[in-house]
Amino acid sequence: MRLQLTAGIVAGLVLALAAPASADGTLAVRGVYYKERATRVMQPMMDAIFDAGTHGIVTGHFLVDAITSASASSGAVNAVPFNELRYEAGAGYTHELGALTIGGDAKYSTESDYRSLYGGVRAQLELGQKNTVLGLGAGYSHDTVSAAAAQGPAMPTLRCDDAHPADPECPLDVYAVYGSVSQIVGKDTVVAATVDLSTLSGYQSNPYRSAIVGEVLVPERHPSERTREAFAASIRHYVAATGTTLIGAYRYYRDDWQVHAHTPELRIVQEVGRDMDAAVRFRYYTQDGAYFFRDRYPADSTAMSPYVTDDVKLSSFTGYTLEAKLGVLGEAFQLSGRWAGARFEGMLEYTAQHNRFGNAVIAHVAVTIPFEY
Amino acid sequence: MVAAPVQDSPWVAVAIALILGTSGCAVVHAHERGHLAKRAMTSDRDPGEARFLEHERGAREGADGGTGQPGGGCGCN
Repeated sequence: MRLQLTAGIVAGLVLALAAPASADGTLAVRGVYYKERATRVMQPMMDAIFDAGTHGIVTGHFLVDAITSASASSGAVNAVPFNELRYEAGAGYTHELGALTIGGDAKYSTESDYRSLYGGVRAQLELGQKNTVLGLGAGYSHDTVSAAAAQGPAMPTLRCDDAHPADPECPLDVYAVYGSVSQIVGKDTVVAATVDLSTLSGYQSNPYRSAIVGEVLVPERHPSERTREAFAASIRHYVAATGTTLIGAYRYYRDDWQVHAHTPELRIVQEVGRDMDAAVRFRYYTQDGAYFFRDRYPADSTAMSPYVTDDVKLSSFTGYTLEAKLGVLGEAFQLSGRWAGARFEGMLEYTAQHNRFGNAVIAHVAVTIPFEY
Repeated sequence: MVAAPVQDSPWVAVAIALILGTSGCAVVHAHERGHLAKRAMTSDRDPGEARFLEHERGAREGADGGTGQPGGGCGCN
Protein backbone atom coordinates (compact mmCIF):
# COMPACT_ATOMS: atom_id res chain seq x y z
CA MET A 1 0.00 0.00 0.00
CA ARG A 2 2.87 2.35 0.76
CA LEU A 3 4.17 1.73 -2.74
CA GLN A 4 0.74 2.47 -4.20
CA LEU A 5 0.54 5.77 -2.37
CA THR A 6 4.07 6.70 -3.34
CA ALA A 7 3.10 5.96 -6.94
CA GLY A 8 0.07 8.20 -6.43
CA ILE A 9 2.27 11.04 -5.26
CA VAL A 10 4.62 10.57 -8.21
CA ALA A 11 1.65 10.48 -10.61
CA GLY A 12 0.33 13.65 -9.03
CA LEU A 13 3.66 15.38 -9.40
CA VAL A 14 3.90 14.29 -13.04
CA LEU A 15 0.38 15.61 -13.59
CA ALA A 16 1.32 18.86 -11.93
CA LEU A 17 4.49 19.19 -13.96
CA ALA A 18 2.44 18.75 -17.14
CA ALA A 19 0.24 21.72 -16.20
CA PRO A 20 0.35 25.18 -17.85
CA ALA A 21 3.41 27.38 -17.40
CA SER A 22 1.67 29.60 -14.85
CA ALA A 23 1.40 26.79 -12.33
CA ASP A 24 3.39 26.76 -9.13
CA GLY A 25 3.85 24.90 -5.90
CA THR A 26 5.99 24.41 -2.84
CA LEU A 27 8.20 21.68 -1.46
CA ALA A 28 8.78 21.70 2.30
CA VAL A 29 11.41 19.71 4.16
CA ARG A 30 11.15 19.58 7.94
CA GLY A 31 12.98 17.87 10.76
CA VAL A 32 11.52 17.45 14.24
CA TYR A 33 13.19 16.40 17.47
CA TYR A 34 10.96 15.42 20.39
CA LYS A 35 12.16 14.53 23.88
CA GLU A 36 10.24 13.65 26.99
CA ARG A 37 11.22 11.76 30.14
CA ALA A 38 11.02 8.28 28.62
CA THR A 39 10.76 8.82 24.87
CA ARG A 40 12.78 10.43 22.10
CA VAL A 41 11.45 10.87 18.55
CA MET A 42 13.20 12.14 15.44
CA GLN A 43 10.97 12.76 12.46
CA PRO A 44 12.18 13.92 9.05
CA MET A 45 9.32 14.71 6.65
CA MET A 46 8.62 16.12 3.22
CA ASP A 47 5.45 17.90 2.04
CA ALA A 48 4.65 18.90 -1.54
CA ILE A 49 1.82 21.12 -2.82
CA PHE A 50 1.52 21.65 -6.56
CA ASP A 51 -1.00 23.13 -8.98
CA ALA A 52 -2.51 20.54 -11.31
CA GLY A 53 -4.10 22.31 -14.24
CA THR A 54 -5.93 25.57 -13.64
CA HIS A 55 -8.38 24.29 -11.01
CA GLY A 56 -6.62 21.47 -9.21
CA ILE A 57 -4.10 21.13 -6.39
CA VAL A 58 -2.15 17.97 -5.60
CA THR A 59 -0.61 17.38 -2.18
CA GLY A 60 1.65 14.63 -0.94
CA HIS A 61 3.76 13.86 2.10
CA PHE A 62 6.17 11.27 3.37
CA LEU A 63 7.70 10.94 6.82
CA VAL A 64 9.68 8.62 9.05
CA ASP A 65 9.31 8.42 12.83
CA ALA A 66 12.37 7.09 14.64
CA ILE A 67 11.16 6.34 18.16
CA THR A 68 13.39 5.41 21.08
CA SER A 69 11.49 4.79 24.28
CA ALA A 70 12.05 3.35 27.70
CA SER A 71 8.79 1.50 27.16
CA ALA A 72 6.47 0.39 24.38
CA SER A 73 3.73 0.82 26.93
CA SER A 74 4.17 4.59 27.22
CA GLY A 75 5.80 4.78 30.62
CA ALA A 76 3.84 1.97 32.21
CA VAL A 77 4.86 0.10 35.33
CA ASN A 78 6.05 -2.93 33.36
CA ALA A 79 8.27 -0.89 31.03
CA VAL A 80 10.65 -2.58 28.56
CA PRO A 81 12.97 -0.46 26.36
CA PHE A 82 12.33 -0.47 22.61
CA ASN A 83 13.26 1.20 19.31
CA GLU A 84 10.92 1.50 16.38
CA LEU A 85 10.52 3.07 12.95
CA ARG A 86 7.21 4.28 11.58
CA TYR A 87 6.65 5.22 7.94
CA GLU A 88 3.78 7.36 6.71
CA ALA A 89 2.79 8.50 3.22
CA GLY A 90 -0.22 10.48 2.09
CA ALA A 91 -1.64 12.12 -1.00
CA GLY A 92 -4.58 14.38 -1.74
CA TYR A 93 -6.31 16.24 -4.52
CA THR A 94 -8.68 19.23 -4.47
CA HIS A 95 -10.58 20.64 -7.43
CA GLU A 96 -12.20 24.04 -7.70
CA LEU A 97 -15.65 24.26 -9.30
CA GLY A 98 -16.44 27.96 -9.00
CA ALA A 99 -17.56 28.67 -5.44
CA LEU A 100 -17.39 24.99 -4.58
CA THR A 101 -14.16 23.12 -3.93
CA ILE A 102 -14.15 19.35 -3.52
CA GLY A 103 -11.32 17.05 -2.57
CA GLY A 104 -10.13 13.79 -1.14
CA ASP A 105 -7.06 12.39 0.51
CA ALA A 106 -5.56 9.11 1.65
CA LYS A 107 -2.88 8.21 4.16
CA TYR A 108 -1.07 5.02 5.10
CA SER A 109 1.08 4.49 8.16
CA THR A 110 2.99 1.38 9.15
CA GLU A 111 5.20 0.27 12.03
CA SER A 112 5.96 -3.14 13.47
CA ASP A 113 2.85 -3.32 15.64
CA TYR A 114 0.42 -0.84 14.07
CA ARG A 115 -0.90 -0.22 10.58
CA SER A 116 -3.38 2.49 9.62
CA LEU A 117 -5.11 3.23 6.33
CA TYR A 118 -7.16 6.43 6.08
CA GLY A 119 -9.36 7.87 3.33
CA GLY A 120 -11.42 11.04 3.38
CA VAL A 121 -13.49 13.43 1.28
CA ARG A 122 -14.30 17.08 1.83
CA ALA A 123 -16.16 20.00 0.27
CA GLN A 124 -15.91 23.74 0.74
CA LEU A 125 -18.42 26.39 -0.33
CA GLU A 126 -17.72 30.11 -0.57
CA LEU A 127 -20.64 32.46 0.01
CA GLY A 128 -21.22 36.23 0.12
CA GLN A 129 -18.29 37.25 -2.09
CA LYS A 130 -16.10 34.77 -0.20
CA ASN A 131 -16.84 36.43 3.13
CA THR A 132 -18.27 33.17 4.42
CA VAL A 133 -16.74 29.74 3.84
CA LEU A 134 -18.52 26.54 4.82
CA GLY A 135 -16.71 23.21 5.01
CA LEU A 136 -17.89 19.64 5.36
CA GLY A 137 -15.86 16.44 5.41
CA ALA A 138 -15.88 12.78 6.33
CA GLY A 139 -13.22 10.14 6.79
CA TYR A 140 -12.70 6.50 7.59
CA SER A 141 -9.64 4.73 8.87
CA HIS A 142 -8.96 1.06 9.37
CA ASP A 143 -6.19 0.28 11.84
CA THR A 144 -4.61 -3.03 12.78
CA VAL A 145 -2.94 -3.48 16.16
CA SER A 146 -0.61 -6.27 17.30
CA ALA A 147 2.01 -6.86 19.99
CA ALA A 148 4.78 -7.46 17.46
CA ALA A 149 7.25 -5.26 19.36
CA ALA A 150 6.94 -7.36 22.51
CA GLN A 151 10.11 -8.86 24.00
CA GLY A 152 10.43 -12.63 24.08
CA PRO A 153 10.49 -15.63 21.75
CA ALA A 154 6.79 -15.56 20.80
CA MET A 155 4.45 -12.72 19.98
CA PRO A 156 1.67 -12.44 22.57
CA THR A 157 -1.91 -12.77 21.40
CA LEU A 158 -4.46 -10.04 22.06
CA ARG A 159 -7.95 -10.17 23.47
CA CYS A 160 -9.78 -8.28 20.70
CA ASP A 161 -13.23 -8.92 22.19
CA ASP A 162 -15.23 -11.74 23.75
CA ALA A 163 -15.53 -13.49 20.39
CA HIS A 164 -11.78 -13.19 19.68
CA PRO A 165 -10.00 -13.75 23.02
CA ALA A 166 -6.56 -14.68 21.60
CA ASP A 167 -5.86 -13.25 18.14
CA PRO A 168 -2.43 -12.19 16.79
CA GLU A 169 -3.85 -8.79 15.78
CA CYS A 170 -7.01 -6.75 16.32
CA PRO A 171 -8.83 -4.22 14.11
CA LEU A 172 -9.86 -0.68 14.97
CA ASP A 173 -12.26 1.25 12.73
CA VAL A 174 -12.72 5.01 12.98
CA TYR A 175 -15.52 6.97 11.29
CA ALA A 176 -15.37 10.76 11.42
CA VAL A 177 -17.36 13.72 10.13
CA TYR A 178 -16.64 17.39 10.56
CA GLY A 179 -18.10 20.77 9.67
CA SER A 180 -16.56 24.21 9.70
CA VAL A 181 -17.50 27.81 9.06
CA SER A 182 -15.29 30.88 8.75
CA GLN A 183 -16.60 34.42 8.54
CA ILE A 184 -14.84 37.67 7.72
CA VAL A 185 -16.16 40.23 10.18
CA GLY A 186 -14.02 43.19 9.16
CA LYS A 187 -10.99 44.23 7.11
CA ASP A 188 -8.73 42.93 9.85
CA THR A 189 -10.72 40.17 11.54
CA VAL A 190 -11.89 36.67 10.72
CA VAL A 191 -13.61 34.15 13.00
CA ALA A 192 -14.08 30.42 12.56
CA ALA A 193 -15.78 27.48 14.23
CA THR A 194 -15.51 23.71 13.75
CA VAL A 195 -17.42 20.69 14.96
CA ASP A 196 -15.88 17.20 14.79
CA LEU A 197 -17.56 13.92 15.57
CA SER A 198 -15.93 10.51 15.44
CA THR A 199 -16.75 7.02 16.53
CA LEU A 200 -14.19 4.29 17.17
CA SER A 201 -14.95 0.60 17.14
CA GLY A 202 -12.42 -2.11 17.92
CA TYR A 203 -9.27 -2.66 19.95
CA GLN A 204 -8.35 0.51 21.86
CA SER A 205 -6.04 -0.79 24.59
CA ASN A 206 -2.25 -0.74 24.57
CA PRO A 207 -1.11 -4.34 23.99
CA TYR A 208 1.96 -3.91 26.23
CA ARG A 209 0.43 -2.08 29.16
CA SER A 210 -0.94 -3.59 32.37
CA ALA A 211 -2.92 -2.15 35.24
CA ILE A 212 -2.21 -2.88 38.90
CA VAL A 213 -5.14 -4.86 40.26
CA GLY A 214 -4.63 -5.76 43.89
CA GLU A 215 -1.04 -6.99 43.96
CA VAL A 216 -0.86 -8.30 40.38
CA LEU A 217 -0.56 -6.87 36.86
CA VAL A 218 -3.57 -7.38 34.60
CA PRO A 219 -3.47 -6.64 30.85
CA GLU A 220 -5.18 -3.37 30.05
CA ARG A 221 -8.79 -3.66 28.88
CA HIS A 222 -10.53 -0.63 27.39
CA PRO A 223 -14.09 -0.50 26.02
CA SER A 224 -14.25 -1.36 22.33
CA GLU A 225 -16.57 1.53 21.45
CA ARG A 226 -15.89 5.25 21.84
CA THR A 227 -17.69 8.34 20.54
CA ARG A 228 -15.76 11.60 20.55
CA GLU A 229 -16.93 15.19 19.96
CA ALA A 230 -14.91 18.38 19.65
CA PHE A 231 -16.11 21.96 19.27
CA ALA A 232 -13.66 24.74 18.50
CA ALA A 233 -13.75 28.45 17.80
CA SER A 234 -11.03 30.90 16.82
CA ILE A 235 -10.54 34.55 16.01
CA ARG A 236 -7.69 36.20 14.09
CA HIS A 237 -7.15 39.94 14.21
CA TYR A 238 -4.47 41.96 12.43
CA VAL A 239 -3.19 45.15 14.06
CA ALA A 240 -2.00 47.18 11.09
CA ALA A 241 -0.22 49.85 13.14
CA THR A 242 2.28 47.34 14.55
CA GLY A 243 2.15 44.50 12.01
CA THR A 244 0.89 42.15 14.70
CA THR A 245 -1.55 39.26 14.29
CA LEU A 246 -3.43 38.13 17.39
CA ILE A 247 -4.92 34.64 17.30
CA GLY A 248 -7.21 33.33 20.01
CA ALA A 249 -8.68 29.84 20.03
CA TYR A 250 -10.71 27.66 22.31
CA ARG A 251 -11.56 23.97 22.01
CA TYR A 252 -13.94 21.85 24.01
CA TYR A 253 -13.83 18.05 23.85
CA ARG A 254 -15.98 15.30 25.33
CA ASP A 255 -16.49 11.59 24.80
CA ASP A 256 -18.58 8.76 26.16
CA TRP A 257 -15.69 7.49 28.29
CA GLN A 258 -16.48 10.70 30.23
CA VAL A 259 -13.26 12.46 29.30
CA HIS A 260 -13.86 16.21 29.00
CA ALA A 261 -11.21 18.75 28.05
CA HIS A 262 -10.84 22.51 27.69
CA THR A 263 -8.04 24.01 25.58
CA PRO A 264 -7.67 27.79 25.35
CA GLU A 265 -4.79 29.10 23.26
CA LEU A 266 -3.27 32.47 22.38
CA ARG A 267 -0.76 33.16 19.61
CA ILE A 268 0.93 36.40 18.65
CA VAL A 269 2.69 36.72 15.30
CA GLN A 270 4.85 39.81 14.84
CA GLU A 271 6.18 40.98 11.49
CA VAL A 272 9.84 41.99 11.73
CA GLY A 273 10.61 43.96 8.62
CA ARG A 274 9.67 42.60 5.21
CA ASP A 275 11.40 39.23 5.40
CA MET A 276 10.89 37.96 8.91
CA ASP A 277 8.20 37.11 11.44
CA ALA A 278 8.37 35.92 15.01
CA ALA A 279 5.63 34.16 16.93
CA VAL A 280 4.92 33.08 20.47
CA ARG A 281 2.16 30.78 21.67
CA PHE A 282 0.64 29.85 25.02
CA ARG A 283 -1.69 26.88 25.26
CA TYR A 284 -3.41 25.59 28.37
CA TYR A 285 -4.92 22.12 28.61
CA THR A 286 -7.07 20.48 31.24
CA GLN A 287 -8.98 17.22 31.17
CA ASP A 288 -10.79 15.00 33.61
CA GLY A 289 -10.39 11.25 33.70
CA ALA A 290 -12.25 8.39 32.06
CA TYR A 291 -14.91 6.80 34.25
CA PHE A 292 -12.92 3.58 34.63
CA PHE A 293 -9.49 5.09 35.34
CA ARG A 294 -7.90 4.33 38.74
CA ASP A 295 -4.29 4.68 39.90
CA ARG A 296 -4.63 1.24 41.48
CA TYR A 297 -7.55 -1.11 41.26
CA PRO A 298 -8.77 -3.08 44.28
CA ALA A 299 -8.29 -6.82 44.02
CA ASP A 300 -11.92 -7.50 43.21
CA SER A 301 -12.29 -4.67 40.65
CA THR A 302 -12.24 -6.89 37.56
CA ALA A 303 -15.28 -8.61 38.93
CA MET A 304 -16.96 -5.22 39.44
CA SER A 305 -15.95 -3.63 36.11
CA PRO A 306 -14.72 -5.25 32.90
CA TYR A 307 -12.37 -2.33 32.17
CA VAL A 308 -8.96 -1.55 33.68
CA THR A 309 -6.33 0.85 32.37
CA ASP A 310 -2.88 2.23 33.08
CA ASP A 311 -3.19 4.91 30.38
CA VAL A 312 -2.01 8.30 31.63
CA LYS A 313 -4.06 9.92 28.86
CA LEU A 314 -7.21 8.71 30.58
CA SER A 315 -6.35 10.30 33.96
CA SER A 316 -7.25 13.75 35.20
CA PHE A 317 -4.45 16.27 34.61
CA THR A 318 -3.50 19.75 33.44
CA GLY A 319 -0.67 21.09 31.32
CA TYR A 320 0.53 24.04 29.32
CA THR A 321 2.66 24.69 26.26
CA LEU A 322 4.97 27.58 25.44
CA GLU A 323 6.26 28.00 21.90
CA ALA A 324 8.54 30.40 20.06
CA LYS A 325 8.93 30.42 16.29
CA LEU A 326 10.99 32.41 13.82
CA GLY A 327 10.41 32.51 10.07
CA VAL A 328 12.84 34.17 7.62
CA LEU A 329 12.66 34.52 3.83
CA GLY A 330 15.74 33.79 1.74
CA GLU A 331 15.88 37.45 0.65
CA ALA A 332 17.08 38.31 4.13
CA PHE A 333 20.21 36.21 3.47
CA GLN A 334 20.76 37.87 0.06
CA LEU A 335 19.71 34.67 -1.72
CA SER A 336 18.45 34.95 -5.28
CA GLY A 337 16.14 33.07 -7.65
CA ARG A 338 13.66 30.68 -6.09
CA TRP A 339 15.75 30.66 -2.91
CA ALA A 340 14.92 34.32 -2.37
CA GLY A 341 11.32 33.25 -1.78
CA ALA A 342 12.22 30.20 0.29
CA ARG A 343 11.06 30.31 3.89
CA PHE A 344 13.36 29.09 6.66
CA GLU A 345 11.77 28.26 10.00
CA GLY A 346 12.91 27.34 13.46
CA MET A 347 10.58 26.49 16.31
CA LEU A 348 11.05 25.55 19.95
CA GLU A 349 8.22 24.23 22.09
CA TYR A 350 8.13 23.35 25.78
CA THR A 351 5.23 21.36 27.20
CA ALA A 352 4.68 20.93 30.93
CA GLN A 353 2.29 18.17 31.86
CA HIS A 354 1.30 17.33 35.43
CA ASN A 355 1.22 13.55 35.12
CA ARG A 356 3.57 10.57 34.70
CA PHE A 357 4.56 11.58 31.15
CA GLY A 358 6.30 14.65 32.55
CA ASN A 359 7.51 17.57 30.45
CA ALA A 360 8.57 17.58 26.81
CA VAL A 361 10.75 19.65 24.50
CA ILE A 362 10.16 19.80 20.76
CA ALA A 363 12.35 21.49 18.16
CA HIS A 364 11.53 22.00 14.46
CA VAL A 365 13.70 23.22 11.60
CA ALA A 366 12.18 23.58 8.15
CA VAL A 367 12.65 25.09 4.73
CA THR A 368 9.83 25.66 2.22
CA ILE A 369 10.93 26.16 -1.37
CA PRO A 370 8.57 27.70 -3.95
CA PHE A 371 8.50 26.40 -7.54
CA GLU A 372 7.17 27.86 -10.78
CA TYR A 373 6.91 25.87 -13.95
CA MET B 1 -1.57 17.83 40.04
CA VAL B 2 -5.10 16.60 39.46
CA ALA B 3 -7.38 18.78 37.37
CA ALA B 4 -10.71 19.90 38.73
CA PRO B 5 -13.70 18.19 37.10
CA VAL B 6 -14.38 19.75 33.73
CA GLN B 7 -17.89 21.02 33.17
CA ASP B 8 -19.97 19.61 30.34
CA SER B 9 -20.36 22.80 28.29
CA PRO B 10 -19.84 21.99 24.59
CA TRP B 11 -21.71 24.98 23.30
CA VAL B 12 -19.35 27.55 24.77
CA ALA B 13 -17.17 27.36 21.66
CA VAL B 14 -20.18 27.57 19.35
CA ALA B 15 -21.62 30.48 21.30
CA ILE B 16 -18.33 32.39 21.14
CA ALA B 17 -18.18 31.84 17.39
CA LEU B 18 -21.78 32.93 16.88
CA ILE B 19 -21.35 36.07 18.97
CA LEU B 20 -18.17 37.00 17.15
CA GLY B 21 -19.50 35.99 13.78
CA THR B 22 -22.71 37.93 13.99
CA SER B 23 -21.21 41.01 15.59
CA GLY B 24 -20.26 42.58 12.28
CA CYS B 25 -20.94 40.69 9.09
CA ALA B 26 -20.54 43.64 6.71
CA VAL B 27 -19.24 42.40 3.36
CA VAL B 28 -15.52 43.05 2.94
CA HIS B 29 -14.69 43.37 -0.75
CA ALA B 30 -11.74 41.67 -2.41
CA HIS B 31 -9.69 44.86 -2.72
CA GLU B 32 -10.05 45.45 1.02
CA ARG B 33 -8.56 42.12 2.05
CA GLY B 34 -4.87 42.92 1.96
CA HIS B 35 -4.50 42.30 5.69
CA LEU B 36 -6.68 39.18 5.61
CA ALA B 37 -4.40 37.65 2.96
CA LYS B 38 -1.33 37.79 5.18
CA ARG B 39 0.19 34.45 6.11
CA ALA B 40 -0.63 34.72 9.81
CA MET B 41 -4.27 35.60 9.02
CA THR B 42 -4.84 32.54 6.86
CA SER B 43 -2.81 29.71 8.29
CA ASP B 44 0.46 30.26 10.08
CA ARG B 45 1.22 26.55 10.31
CA ASP B 46 2.63 24.42 7.51
CA PRO B 47 0.97 21.02 6.90
CA GLY B 48 3.92 19.11 8.35
CA GLU B 49 4.04 21.24 11.47
CA ALA B 50 0.30 20.90 12.07
CA ARG B 51 0.45 17.14 11.45
CA PHE B 52 3.25 16.64 13.98
CA LEU B 53 1.51 18.74 16.64
CA GLU B 54 -1.69 16.75 16.16
CA HIS B 55 0.19 13.45 16.40
CA GLU B 56 2.07 14.59 19.50
CA ARG B 57 -1.15 15.61 21.25
CA GLY B 58 -2.73 12.29 20.34
CA ALA B 59 0.11 10.51 22.13
CA ARG B 60 -0.02 12.68 25.27
CA GLU B 61 -3.62 13.82 25.74
CA GLY B 62 -6.97 12.07 26.02
CA ALA B 63 -8.83 14.65 23.93
CA ASP B 64 -7.40 13.49 20.62
CA GLY B 65 -9.23 14.08 17.37
CA GLY B 66 -11.47 16.93 16.47
CA THR B 67 -9.09 18.31 13.90
CA GLY B 68 -10.76 17.10 10.76
CA GLN B 69 -9.72 13.50 10.34
CA PRO B 70 -9.05 10.49 12.54
CA GLY B 71 -5.53 9.68 13.60
CA GLY B 72 -3.84 6.31 13.72
CA GLY B 73 -0.46 4.84 13.15
CA CYS B 74 0.81 5.72 16.58
CA GLY B 75 1.24 2.35 18.23
CA CYS B 76 0.59 4.11 21.52
CA ASN B 77 -3.10 3.68 22.26
